[in-house]
Amino acid sequence: MWCFFKRFGAVMRLTNALYSVLMWGVSACCGVIAAEPPEFVRDIQPLFQSHCGSCHDGGERSGGLDLGAGLVRGGDSGPVLVPGQPDESLLLQLVTSGAMPPEGEPRLSGEQIDMLRRWIAAGARMPGSQQIPAVNSDRIEALLLLRCAACHGASRQEGGLDVRTRDSLLRGGKSGPAAVPGQPDSSLILQKIAAGEMPPTRRLVEAMIKPITESETQLLRQWIAEGMPQAVVESGKSSELPAGAREFWSFQPPRAADVPEVRATGRVQTAVDAFLLQRLEQAGLTFAAPAEPAVLVRRLYFDLTGLPPTWQQLQRVLQDSRPDRMSRLIDELLESPEYGVRWGQHWLDAAGYADSEGAQNEDRIRADMWRYRDYVIRSFNADKPYDRFLHEQLAGDELADYESAAEVTEELSDNLVATGFLRTAPDRTFANITAFVPDRLEVIADELQILGSTVLGLSINCARCHAHKFDPLSQTDYYRLSAVFKDAWDEHDWLKPLDERLLPYVPTAERVAWEQQKEQLEDQIAKLREQQKAVADAERKELDAAIEKLRQQIPREPKIRALWSRGRPSPTWVLLRGDYLKPGRRVQPGVPEVLEPGGPLLSYEPPWPGAQKTGARLAFARWLTKPDHPLTARVMVNRIWLQHFGRGLVETPANFGVAGARPSHPELLDWLAVQFVRSGWSVKAMHRLLLNSAAWQQSSAVSELSERRDRENQLWSRMPLRRLDAESLRDGLLLVAGALSERRYGPADPVQVRGDGLVTVQPEGEQWRRSVFALHRRTQIPSLLESFDYPQMGPNCVQRGESLAAPQTLQLLNGGFVHDLAVRLARRVVQAVEQSEPLSATGEARELRIVQLYRMALQRDPEVAELRELQSGLDQLVREWQQSAGTGGAAGAGGAGNQSVLLNSAEFEGFCNLCHAVLNSAAFVMVD
Amino acid sequence: MRNGQEVHRRGVFRSLAGGVSAVAMLSLLDSESGVSRGAVRAEDESGRPGGPVHEPSATSVIHLFMNGGPSQMDLLDPKPELVRRHGQEHFDRIAGEVEFPEAAGALLGSPFRFARYGQCGMWVSELLPELSRHVDELSLLRGLYTTNLTHEPALYKYHSGSEFTGRPSLGAWITWGLGSENQNLPGYVVLEDPQGLPVNGVDNWTSGFLPASFQGTRFRATGAPVLNVSPDFVEPASVTAVERQLIRRLDRLHQQNRAGQSRLESRIEAWELAARMQTSATDALDLSQETAATLELYGIGREPTDAYGRRCLIARRLVERGVRFVQLFINSQIWDNHSSIGTALPAACARTDRPIAGLLTDLKQRGLLDQTLLVWGGEMGRLPISQLAADRNPGSSGRDHNKNAMVAWLAGGGVRGGVVHGSTDELGFAAVEGRVGVPDLHATLLHVLGLGADDLYVSRAGLKERLTGVLEPTVIREILVRS
Repeated sequence: MWCFFKRFGAVMRLTNALYSVLMWGVSACCGVIAAEPPEFVRDIQPLFQSHCGSCHDGGERSGGLDLGAGLVRGGDSGPVLVPGQPDESLLLQLVTSGAMPPEGEPRLSGEQIDMLRRWIAAGARMPGSQQIPAVNSDRIEALLLLRCAACHGASRQEGGLDVRTRDSLLRGGKSGPAAVPGQPDSSLILQKIAAGEMPPTRRLVEAMIKPITESETQLLRQWIAEGMPQAVVESGKSSELPAGAREFWSFQPPRAADVPEVRATGRVQTAVDAFLLQRLEQAGLTFAAPAEPAVLVRRLYFDLTGLPPTWQQLQRVLQDSRPDRMSRLIDELLESPEYGVRWGQHWLDAAGYADSEGAQNEDRIRADMWRYRDYVIRSFNADKPYDRFLHEQLAGDELADYESAAEVTEELSDNLVATGFLRTAPDRTFANITAFVPDRLEVIADELQILGSTVLGLSINCARCHAHKFDPLSQTDYYRLSAVFKDAWDEHDWLKPLDERLLPYVPTAERVAWEQQKEQLEDQIAKLREQQKAVADAERKELDAAIEKLRQQIPREPKIRALWSRGRPSPTWVLLRGDYLKPGRRVQPGVPEVLEPGGPLLSYEPPWPGAQKTGARLAFARWLTKPDHPLTARVMVNRIWLQHFGRGLVETPANFGVAGARPSHPELLDWLAVQFVRSGWSVKAMHRLLLNSAAWQQSSAVSELSERRDRENQLWSRMPLRRLDAESLRDGLLLVAGALSERRYGPADPVQVRGDGLVTVQPEGEQWRRSVFALHRRTQIPSLLESFDYPQMGPNCVQRGESLAAPQTLQLLNGGFVHDLAVRLARRVVQAVEQSEPLSATGEARELRIVQLYRMALQRDPEVAELRELQSGLDQLVREWQQSAGTGGAAGAGGAGNQSVLLNSAEFEGFCNLCHAVLNSAAFVMVD
Repeated sequence: MRNGQEVHRRGVFRSLAGGVSAVAMLSLLDSESGVSRGAVRAEDESGRPGGPVHEPSATSVIHLFMNGGPSQMDLLDPKPELVRRHGQEHFDRIAGEVEFPEAAGALLGSPFRFARYGQCGMWVSELLPELSRHVDELSLLRGLYTTNLTHEPALYKYHSGSEFTGRPSLGAWITWGLGSENQNLPGYVVLEDPQGLPVNGVDNWTSGFLPASFQGTRFRATGAPVLNVSPDFVEPASVTAVERQLIRRLDRLHQQNRAGQSRLESRIEAWELAARMQTSATDALDLSQETAATLELYGIGREPTDAYGRRCLIARRLVERGVRFVQLFINSQIWDNHSSIGTALPAACARTDRPIAGLLTDLKQRGLLDQTLLVWGGEMGRLPISQLAADRNPGSSGRDHNKNAMVAWLAGGGVRGGVVHGSTDELGFAAVEGRVGVPDLHATLLHVLGLGADDLYVSRAGLKERLTGVLEPTVIREILVRS
């Protein structure tokens, strides 16, 4: 059973590969079809019962297929029979390719297969009312939506015609009914197609459709000829779930075990430690010694704020003698606005944030995307409960009525900004030529993939083309999920990303300010226009220029890049093999069956009376955040763990499925998940639990025992040594050089591209803002960030790389940016020493500067051996500068010319090199 | 396997000319342990052979990319029937395959003369006089097609196997999988046109979800050759040397205090490599080491061939030094001849014909052609009907995009010469025989380099990601010496 389920996926790929071979083989042997067609009860039914019944009868329905009563309906992958067209019938394809019956089961003989073929070719007739119409309205609706609805559908009804349903075809348009049942030749729609008038060939690109194909026209003709039969309506819910599928660990709701008893009670600072120690002690291990306080403070600052502490901040903690000083620091940093900048970035990675559309050469800027970035940062700072956070991001537009609100509050506006989560995928549909249905489906698929990998921890994207190969996720599950979003993401009723899919509901105050500014400028322009009437030509031109200048000052209308429901979703079909040209069974909005014992279909209603919204997404978001949801809390606590500890409890943060990793500490994961929900989904509560643990606060030193018994650190017998991530490195460099701006939020800082491809962020005056506020244009990622593993958002990133590669070294060593920052750091050091100490001998001054440099850059004093190297290095550097006076350098460029203390420029130049060396050293880039 | 930590070195083949060791050096630019932690995401199992899996017939690739979509029926796929039916209406039969329906005109016979060349008698247009001397070295693909008729998706497809953004490019896959044979140069070098980036810009050579160090490294013929390879600032060389010495000492001290941290060792290795790269790159780009005759061969020093000639010559110097994958781009889509194909296409040919022929000659003379695979082609082909400007003047006719047929040729390592594989219909609209998709072309490249399509993969988001996609590609064995 289970085995079949897995096989089915594998088979689909095989089927594709074999398809052409099959087609060829079939047409070659058509000539030998015997005269008399087989009869269902006599010939076919016994065949099904003997060869297929053990998996596909009323009781067992592998792939959702019941070859008894369900023959007409088909299975998970849609209808299995197409009367008259054996080659189009999935059943025959699978049998012929050898995929079915599965390996080890008795196969059908050549004669039996031939009989099946002939039966289907003759119309797949069955006794009684069971007859399968060759084509029904379901198939035709899908077809007309694809080929005609762009001009005769939801948004436009040219000629008064709407082709979307059987009824609307019968009703017709200005020229009368579009179709007459049983009379294809009198049906206007077929006449227009036959005459080549519809779809109008010269307008195909404008309408973003492709011409109707010959076989599709035939299908339409056949349907009309047969009297336009209605679709077979699905009678009720039928489970497609293999028995036992829900028993897999991650499909069971998390249950909190008791906190275990351990021997090393002294090392238990939070419950986390007990769970970890239990396993460590079993292996004869315990935690490494607690990290040095100074090491811990640096680690903590980077972890929670993405910045190093200043020397003063560090001293303040070290001088605090209270036993809970670390815990107080954790609380303090969680309240710092830098916390949201740092932890917002982790979420932005997972959401696939970018400031451009990508996928097209222009890589068009998403001028309004930053609002979502700000929303995420502010949400983390506010410790917005994760359930609320998800509700807003998945269905903010369905939370409250923004259209008829007298005032758009911050909250109302934020609800819409939050849906930017569903607008991050690369989107090339802003141009007609790349906005055909398959292009649109790709955007939707990317968004579902992001949702799956980030929130659900499931690779649901696999089920787009075939049943998931490992997890009990069917194509029906996938398309039910896409139906949830259809009210907003509708490939047949599309809004273009850059102009149409934006909402004006920014907070009223902001909007009013914009309007006033605009009116003011327009008034001025109007006045100049008046003046123009009365003056001579020359002066008129001058005024033109002034008007143009004013016009350019009119700010852009503030808009929100949102996703919203429109209350008129097209139907959703399972797309066979993911092919938009092969609609299968029609499905309703629902959730993966394996995750919901209560049944997959969602019940939903418009969120407020009169809302032009189905409410399906809101229902989905609430389902996701029900307290006993098997995945939502687990996936999020694992993500938090991953960022703190460098590796998840589940090592595959985006895949909690069968092919993903099993949790290294299942009881701990579940305990945390349950705690998370109990704490009101508070992310900060999770931080406190993890950061206050002895596990997180232990040293990263590798002991011989820990190396031997826990080589890969699977048990967390030490903290991993980590490399700074891209943003922490850049922001840290800026901070220590005194070049970091404190301004947060708002439109992204532009980037510039040098001739050789170097991308840098434009400063604001002498300062730069934190990296999260730089423009993240897909084709112009700042080079420094990129070489330190800032990810390609394709479509998102669930875990950053931590590579160590030569281009990083080159960036740090040779880049002008780092060099300039080193000079600024040198100046800061020199100034600080000058301010705190009276002038002294050169040797003494040098030592003071070196110590100050270490305190500023690395928040510690140099060790004796280091000091020796630094002193002799500085000696040499200064000497070299003296011997090559006049060759470049920072001081020569006016760097520290006004520093009276620097007796000569060689002294300063040498010290700049020293600063540069320290910024390039492992001590700066790595975190113990 | 988890964490991509384990690197397979099965069947690393020794090759070829003069017993030069072809043992791949994976560690260029990414030390092994650097890759290990999450550089390819932690969840990912990966197939990274670390060298050829079967015996390769070439060790390097020079990819001559012709941005814009060269017109197959005007260059390498003559269509007498199209000439005969010149002027007939045809649009309605192919309406769904036209990017600009409103500009579509009648069938357009090629205005250029074709003749047969070489021992094989291959048909070549008068626009490619230099290439026509080398037809006995070429395998011509006339049955090639792609899946999207717009530049961006077609470019993504051509360079990464998928119509969408964010996948590793061909060169990234190959260098990630095979490593490099030169420790001091990047394995994947892009020679871009100094006049500007191609459509899709740097996405064309992205490393996608592979580590960033496998993206194409841009080499420029002028100015600083490689990003950050030389300092952005001026200081005496002796100062630089002292500072680097100091960093090295500080890092050793840092490491000594942290026994057992292999990552620190990796960092130091990466550091040493970076230092060596600085001199090697400069040397590879120094064309003053070449003779006047060689420069002349590539058309360097005269117009319109100078710029492209330089890139072709640099390409030779790079493969000579063991660079795995060299890719040449031209700015502004010179092959995208929507209008005035009668003049624009000859101009595009004039810029490139001699340099490419020069490259073939030079590689052959130096015995490098046997181990270097040359690939020529664009991201799409062009339509048999004309595209007209608003004034509908046939004199300035061009051709619109065509995804159903395009042309490419391969030459060098392991590829047969004088072969024409596949054909189009009588009008040149669609490939009909010997149909070859872009993934098939990619699989063929991998095959020549000693890899099967399944040898290179990364498991990601539940999918085994391969260059060639989910469906099985077909290696074009008909054009290989050893099929």
